[in-house]
Amino acid sequence: MDYTKNEMMAIATGREFKDGEICIFGVGLSMLAGFFAQKNHAPNLIAFTEGGVYGSTPVGGLPWGIEDNRISANATSFTNAIDALCMLVAAGKVDNAVIGAAQIDKYGNVNTTGIWESGAQPWKVGKYMLPKVRLNGSGGANEIAVGAKKYLIMAAHQKKRFTEKVDYISSPGYLNGGNDREKYGFPGGGPSAIITNLGILKPDPVTKEFYLDAYFSFSSVEEILENTGWDLKVSPDVKVVPEPTEQELENLRAVDETGSLRKK
Amino acid sequence: MSNKLISMQEAVAKYTWEGMTFAHGGALPVGSDCIAFFREMVRQGVKGINCISNCNSHGTNLLAAAGGIARMEVGFSGLEVYGFANGLRRAVESGKTILEDYSNGGIPIRVMGGALGWPFVPTFINYGCDQAWCSADDPDNYPNEKKIPEVTDPFTGKKIGVFKSIQPDVAVIHVTMADEKGNAIMLGTEWSRFELSRAAKKVVLQADYIVDTDCMRQFPNLVRIPDLVVDAVVYWPMGVWPACSTGIYDSDEEHFYAMNKMLKTEEGTEEYIEKYVKGYNTNEEFQEVIGKDKIEKLTNTATAFLMDPYRKWIKSDAEVKELMERR
Repeated sequence: MDYTKNEMMAIATGREFKDGEICIFGVGLSMLAGFFAQKNHAPNLIAFTEGGVYGSTPVGGLPWGIEDNRISANATSFTNAIDALCMLVAAGKVDNAVIGAAQIDKYGNVNTTGIWESGAQPWKVGKYMLPKVRLNGSGGANEIAVGAKKYLIMAAHQKKRFTEKVDYISSPGYLNGGNDREKYGFPGGGPSAIITNLGILKPDPVTKEFYLDAYFSFSSVEEILENTGWDLKVSPDVKVVPEPTEQELENLRAVDETGSLRKK
Repeated sequence: MSNKLISMQEAVAKYTWEGMTFAHGGALPVGSDCIAFFREMVRQGVKGINCISNCNSHGTNLLAAAGGIARMEVGFSGLEVYGFANGLRRAVESGKTILEDYSNGGIPIRVMGGALGWPFVPTFINYGCDQAWCSADDPDNYPNEKKIPEVTDPFTGKKIGVFKSIQPDVAVIHVTMADEKGNAIMLGTEWSRFELSRAAKKVVLQADYIVDTDCMRQFPNLVRIPDLVVDAVVYWPMGVWPACSTGIYDSDEEHFYAMNKMLKTEEGTEEYIEKYVKGYNTNEEFQEVIGKDKIEKLTNTATAFLMDPYRKWIKSDAEVKELMERR
């Protein structure tokens, strides 16, 4: 069957959304995965955006932003960020969500803020060093990380992204692992999976360290280990993720009108 | 004074100054920010601004590229699907702009605290992560305990973080329609514009349409910004371009990319300013710069029906001009 790695990643992410869940999506890949799920197997999935656009689906193509007219043309309610992002997401009323990552560590902590000189962790040596690369910052991902009952992290699987320690924790996962989140009283449960273009990582129930749970038919355990910057543990029951069905691909491509996931 | 209409040039001259705390939006990069106001700030050479930004937009991207932003407190510094904000990124990477990171909920909560007159607001967001532990203002201190300090909940004894509230000197807020007194209706999500209008010491509206006050009397529930909190109203059609104004025009994909590409370099920024900032004096000329065909395309939006209930109260350019002269 002909499909791209990104399409497999979007479908694997979409499969994690269950019918009837209240979900929040960001722009791009995350929204594609979410609306794919709604079209494919979760017709009663309730989606809204962090600025408070309720009851809508994209019109005329994938939205340029989460306040874009393409997601505002058939809404049933417009509110605001304190309502949607704070009262619903941060306060713990959302079932599932997706965030992206420029860097991610073995406890699911995510950096989307900046990349500093390699290994220097300049914030931590007592001086602010200018970032080598300034990234986008947290956006609404911090609220999801703190408040969603569970959430998924989606990222391209590359050694430079999957690092032992991230340069900056923009969105807290399990921090130093174990019960570390409890120190802060976060309402949400933390990340339930990391879904990449090579496979699926899940957190150990006790240590909260992410291990390799499954790979795709086009990838392998070896390839994933080579592309992970920490000593990734592999589940003794590591399995192959079922390939997309024809129906799944058809539904995904209907949502991805412009073919953004089909570029290889 | 009941008629608060002033020109864009007057508004920028009167309500911006070096060292001020300037809030805007409060919108997303592709959403309803006061981009035209930022163009005029660049035109007038405004420098040393401390920005309170729910999000970066092409407005802050441009002002940062022009060297006008000294400091910025922000929840999201990108341009959504359009990528990284090159002008702002260049200013941060070169050290011209100090960037203090929060999140998209963090800035509105801090503004809400300011609006309520509270000194601080308890929070789980931005707590237990580097938004709390790293401060660009106090870089030698890690983990920082002053940016989002920890306090004890007096009722449960549990720990929680606290945000410092914000009361900006001025907030410039884009609205879909306003009357000349400053009553305003926003279509689309408000983001943090409601609380911003209550937190700032002075409030300036940038409006796509001026409507008769009878429109407000017909839809009083939708008037989330009432006249008493507003100091000035600027009429500036297409003022959010190249981002979108829900109900009126879509985001201009072509210009969004082109603008961001130009802001990537000093030379490109100068060229951009020459053409798209200094290239007009009046709103008519501004619309000529955008182009008639382009405006026609952008205003052919799937959200246009949202404006239908309000159209009969919209004032023509001539009527607005007359109101300005009567002031």
